Amino acid sequence: MNYPFWDIPILGSGWVIGIIAIFHVMISQFAVGGGLYLPMAERKAMRMPEGQLRTDWLKQLASYSKFFLVLTAVFGTVSGVGIWFAIGLTHPEGTSTLIHNFVFGWAMEWVFFLVELTTIAVYYSTWDKIDPKLHLTVGWVYAGASAFTLIIINGILTFMLTPGGAWLAVAGTGHEASKFWYAFFNPTYWPSLFLRACVCCALAGIWALITASRIDGDKQPELKTSLVQWSVKWLVPSFVATPFLLIWYLWMVPASQQALLTLGIDTIGSGTFSIITRIALLIIVTSATIVGVAYFLAYRNPRDFNLSHAIAILLLALIATGAGEYSREMLRKPYVIGNWMFSNGVRVPYVSRINQEGYLAHSNWVWNDSNSSYSRGEAIYRGECGSCHTLGGYRPLKTLLSGRDRANIASFITMLHDYKPDAPYRRYMPPMVGTKQDIEDLADFLNAQVNPPRKPAQTAQK
Amino acid sequence: MTSKAIYDWVDERLGLRELAAFARHKTVPVHSQSFWYYWGGISLFLFLVQCFTGVLLLVYYRPGADAYESVRQITFVMHFGWLIRSAHAWSASLMIFSILVHMFSVFFMKAYRKPREFGWLSGMALLGIASVFGFSGYLLPMDELSYFATKVGLQIPAAIPWVGSAVANMLRGGPDVSEFTVQRFFALHVVVLPAIFLPLLGFHLWLVQRHGNAVPPSEEAKPASERKTMPFVPNFLRKDLAMWLISLNILALLASVFPWSLGKPFDPLAPAPMGIHPEWYFMSPFEMLKLLGSVMPGEAGEIAGILLFTLGIVLWILIPFYDTKKESGQRARAANYFGLLAVFALLATTIIGYWTIR
Repeated sequence: MNYPFWDIPILGSGWVIGIIAIFHVMISQFAVGGGLYLPMAERKAMRMPEGQLRTDWLKQLASYSKFFLVLTAVFGTVSGVGIWFAIGLTHPEGTSTLIHNFVFGWAMEWVFFLVELTTIAVYYSTWDKIDPKLHLTVGWVYAGASAFTLIIINGILTFMLTPGGAWLAVAGTGHEASKFWYAFFNPTYWPSLFLRACVCCALAGIWALITASRIDGDKQPELKTSLVQWSVKWLVPSFVATPFLLIWYLWMVPASQQALLTLGIDTIGSGTFSIITRIALLIIVTSATIVGVAYFLAYRNPRDFNLSHAIAILLLALIATGAGEYSREMLRKPYVIGNWMFSNGVRVPYVSRINQEGYLAHSNWVWNDSNSSYSRGEAIYRGECGSCHTLGGYRPLKTLLSGRDRANIASFITMLHDYKPDAPYRRYMPPMVGTKQDIEDLADFLNAQVNPPRKPAQTAQK
Repeated sequence: MTSKAIYDWVDERLGLRELAAFARHKTVPVHSQSFWYYWGGISLFLFLVQCFTGVLLLVYYRPGADAYESVRQITFVMHFGWLIRSAHAWSASLMIFSILVHMFSVFFMKAYRKPREFGWLSGMALLGIASVFGFSGYLLPMDELSYFATKVGLQIPAAIPWVGSAVANMLRGGPDVSEFTVQRFFALHVVVLPAIFLPLLGFHLWLVQRHGNAVPPSEEAKPASERKTMPFVPNFLRKDLAMWLISLNILALLASVFPWSLGKPFDPLAPAPMGIHPEWYFMSPFEMLKLLGSVMPGEAGEIAGILLFTLGIVLWILIPFYDTKKESGQRARAANYFGLLAVFALLATTIIGYWTIR
């Protein structure tokens, strides 16, 4: 409303964040898990008796730390900045709220980032150059710093799903920052933190298998067997604890949000939001498979374990991560910040005011004169629908509204506007806000898209 | 002690030790083309998924006039009915895809040669039955798309000279696709085809056990000391199981992100909707007949198309009998070109088919 709308046709702006975020999560959670993996592995090697295996382990870890440095400190950092750009453009209202509340949190996180980047560079470049114990200490410092980045960002991410009553009580008063710690340690903070920690460990094992798979099992059978089997063990905490943590997490989510997960049990109809059920099922299937495949291919067959096996596991992990992040984002619907801001950026307490004064009266970026390059209806579409829908691509309004005429589209929008307690779409869509005129303008625009007027030439031909 | 006693008791009656000894001695060749060995197993796994989900669908499906309504209930009312139906439909497609990959890998590895001719022939028969499974299953929901696609599909047997219309009428249960057709296709899909498929599958698997995995000619040329193998139990079996799990994931991904939907109920009086086309594995023959029909319009084109197609298939099936030598001589190279031509023709006509859907 205070900002112009970023229109991405076909893909939708949400997916711009989504695509960057899924890859970023894969890498950043690896940075946390791998941060622990490296010093743990180094300590294990240092405790081995002097001999070939010990030397081989340390040599392998030194080469692994290069892979780790490049992947996390380059790709992880760049994609992290990419998320900032994307959320700022896609959801400026939501981003603004987060910055106003968590500027202190992010300041802390960036301090830990700096420590993280410095220590991993030192860790990589000082193998065999400083005292091994000091080198290991650098590794532990890295592990601590990277763990703290997760500890902090987890508070901000979970806040968006469950901001908590204390923060909501002061939201909009200008005193939100006074409830920083309440917002930070919100209801889903702890289950989410443990869940992510388990995922981090699993990703550390999975990424380590990539480099371990490249060891020649015929030439270095002992090294390959021990390293592959040790890496697979990093999947165990996730395998054992994730089901319980998921139940705990869902337990802490409001009932209205829990209900979203069951929508797809009965139906697969388009426009009913049932996809979240199906995607959530994928997390379970894929996670269980990763453990099974890692056990059969890697743990029981370490010497034959090759790069394509490792990549298969990594791709499965990518599906699981993608499904997990998608479900988490979708679970917030119809809000982007639970009970405070709808997914299209409209703040919950502003609804009645906008209904009286009109949506565009508060859209500072729309010029309301006849020179506008788009109609009032299109401006309302971009602001109110475009966060989640496109016209002909992802969640396409042309398809979802097809078969409806102008009157039918208008009555559908009116239903969204009235937002009665029993309205089926209320569970996952925000209300349409604005005046009667706004409804008519939006209906005109959508009708022109769904039922385009026939061109005279075509009609004549027929 | 007790478990040993039970094992001994069963062993005395079923000969478990002999089986275990047999399994211990079985090996699988290891070489750069070993990846292709998994595709038979993947096809088998997907067939098992078909059986499992098919039986679950059978609990609620009602053939005949109620067919559409029962599929609607399965898809939109029964808890997770959509998942079972989507898994069934997607695994059918994936199974045919993996059988095709398996067939071409066998072809190019020349695994059909002596003494594996029966393996090739039974495999081809299994592929043929699998495609009839697909064709008969496609009609069962009796929605608009399946109705018209079946109507179009049955034009192929109807074009066979002399007996064509009688065969098509027998399959349809009348001059038109109707509830009688569903009843017949249902009987075919759940009784007749499984009754032929299962023993044939058993025969095919027995042959694989008997002759072991074939190695490609390049590997055969190596001296025995340079060839590597791995034990089937447990090494290859573990990898096989891992591949099954990965297949299950791909199936889960497809079934959940792209669930099989249900169109409008069929209406024989309505005009055929836009874009009617057969399933992807029938697209190639469908398009070939269409292309020939445009070159030679009328009945002559249809007959020529069917003859040409039949000739191609017969040549393909009989390959073990004319490409017999182990050395890669003139005829072996010709067989390779034939294989490449088949892959190219299948891909090209399928792409053209999808490109020109109207």
